[in-house]
Amino acid sequence: MGEPQEWHFAFDFYPLQSPEHTRIWPFFQHLKEGRLTTTRCAKCSSLLWQPRVVCPHCNADAMEWVDLPRHGRIYAFTAVYAGAPLGLEKDVPFVVAIVELDGVPVKVVARIDEARYEDLKIGDPVTLKIVELADGRVWFRFVPTGKPSSPA
Amino acid sequence: MRRVAIVGTGLTKWGVRNATYKELVQEAGKDLFDDVPNLDKKHVDSLFVGSALVDRLAFQAYPAPLVAEQLGLTPSRMVMRTEMACVSGQSAIRVAWASIVAGLSDVAVVVGAEKMNTPNMAETQASMACVLDREWDGVNGLNAPPYFALIAQRHMHEYGTTEEQLAEVSVKNHDYAATNPYAHYPKRVSREKVLSSAKIAPPLKLLDCSGITDGAAAVLMTHEGLAKKYTDTPVFVEGLGQAQSGSLVVNLESLTTWHPLRRAAQEAFKMAGVTIRDMDLAETHDCFTISEIMEYEDLGLCEKGQGGQFVMDGQSRIGGTLPTNLRGGLLGCGHPLGATGVAQAIEIVRQFKAQVPEDRYVGGEWGLCHNLSGNANNHALMVLRRGG
Ligand SMILES: [Zn+2]
Repeated sequence: MGEPQEWHFAFDFYPLQSPEHTRIWPFFQHLKEGRLTTTRCAKCSSLLWQPRVVCPHCNADAMEWVDLPRHGRIYAFTAVYAGAPLGLEKDVPFVVAIVELDGVPVKVVARIDEARYEDLKIGDPVTLKIVELADGRVWFRFVPTGKPSSPA
Repeated sequence: MRRVAIVGTGLTKWGVRNATYKELVQEAGKDLFDDVPNLDKKHVDSLFVGSALVDRLAFQAYPAPLVAEQLGLTPSRMVMRTEMACVSGQSAIRVAWASIVAGLSDVAVVVGAEKMNTPNMAETQASMACVLDREWDGVNGLNAPPYFALIAQRHMHEYGTTEEQLAEVSVKNHDYAATNPYAHYPKRVSREKVLSSAKIAPPLKLLDCSGITDGAAAVLMTHEGLAKKYTDTPVFVEGLGQAQSGSLVVNLESLTTWHPLRRAAQEAFKMAGVTIRDMDLAETHDCFTISEIMEYEDLGLCEKGQGGQFVMDGQSRIGGTLPTNLRGGLLGCGHPLGATGVAQAIEIVRQFKAQVPEDRYVGGEWGLCHNLSGNANNHALMVLRRGG
């Protein structure tokens, strides 16, 4: 037996989410409540994505949290069949898309669960889905609207 | 303003190499120093190293001193590493140019090097995905191929571009790579072979994508007053432009028009006092087939949306409007990130010096290099002119 070889890195792909690591921790708290939110500048009212602590437009640092729509439409999509990064190799193929949220000038990148690439088209409606990781962190994805597991 | 020239070139064989980052650097250095027998290494006062992901892919930070030692250099004036993902190479040339113009450097070595193949391909892919905003884009499994697949899908949706047109870019660039001994993929491919290659991220297939490649490239740069000491045919950097806009994928100005490319091109051509029509050949950043199609359009070689037809008509082949990617491009040569921008410049220099095989020789007086990075949010262009 040689020397024991153990490693682990502080980071994976998901953001660190607790108040000790990030000032936008409410975003992740809101996800746990089923809400997709972001920050709006309290001074110039710019709706910012991703959530920010300083407004890039007016330099103000007062932000308010606002709810984003839970529904949107697919603007562009593909599926990852090969070459997935560490931690996602077992998920292939999976669909990843740009989703235009309904009624607000915000697009988000997200995975589309419960869908095959062949069955989707640009413009298809999708609904927010919250994913919980084994270590308690959370993230958001979408599913095609009307899927049995799609929340109302 | 001092005129700055590239006066020597060095390349390694590119591919899945049984060699480390440091060994690749040594090979490129040997090829460079063999090319400039009149160089006394003591006169190299500056070193610029373009490496994008050496921290992650070779688990090695702070590469510039390490590269200096590999090359036997002890630079006394400017030493730095440039990191701009896939534009790290042209960035290194760009800062070397600026340093020479400013009088901070007289004789500079520029090295672009990347060791991409590791024992764990998923780890390599993860490192690549960190080029995007890891926490908001990479986290969703977005990486270069799926991101450029989104572009391709939108381009097809908005302009009617076809998978056959995408495939033709790969066919052309493999045709030219076939006689390039430095290329990772020196082999012709048919359109049918591209179309039936493995699904990666539809509509992109394996042969629509540049490879995961190890390689290095190096050039010697100096000002006009010293150039003839090293070569009879200095190649002058006459214009440069760079523009960046946006980071998060959803916050880019557009998926299907590369506005930063247009701005950077305008800057570079204005500085050189020429237009795209004056170019005899071009190296453009064909990381994916769709990229080259958009480059024709955003460089103004054809109308927006007509890039697919442009390649089908042979306009980017020798004899066409602008022979493009005659070394075989990223599709044929592979894409060792930091090395690519330097190798693009080397192709132009070697064309001007007639150091390339006859069947892909164009030569001429003016050449363009275009290098892009990340989610195409950064574009760098360089206009080169044959001197001598
Ligand atoms: Zn503001």
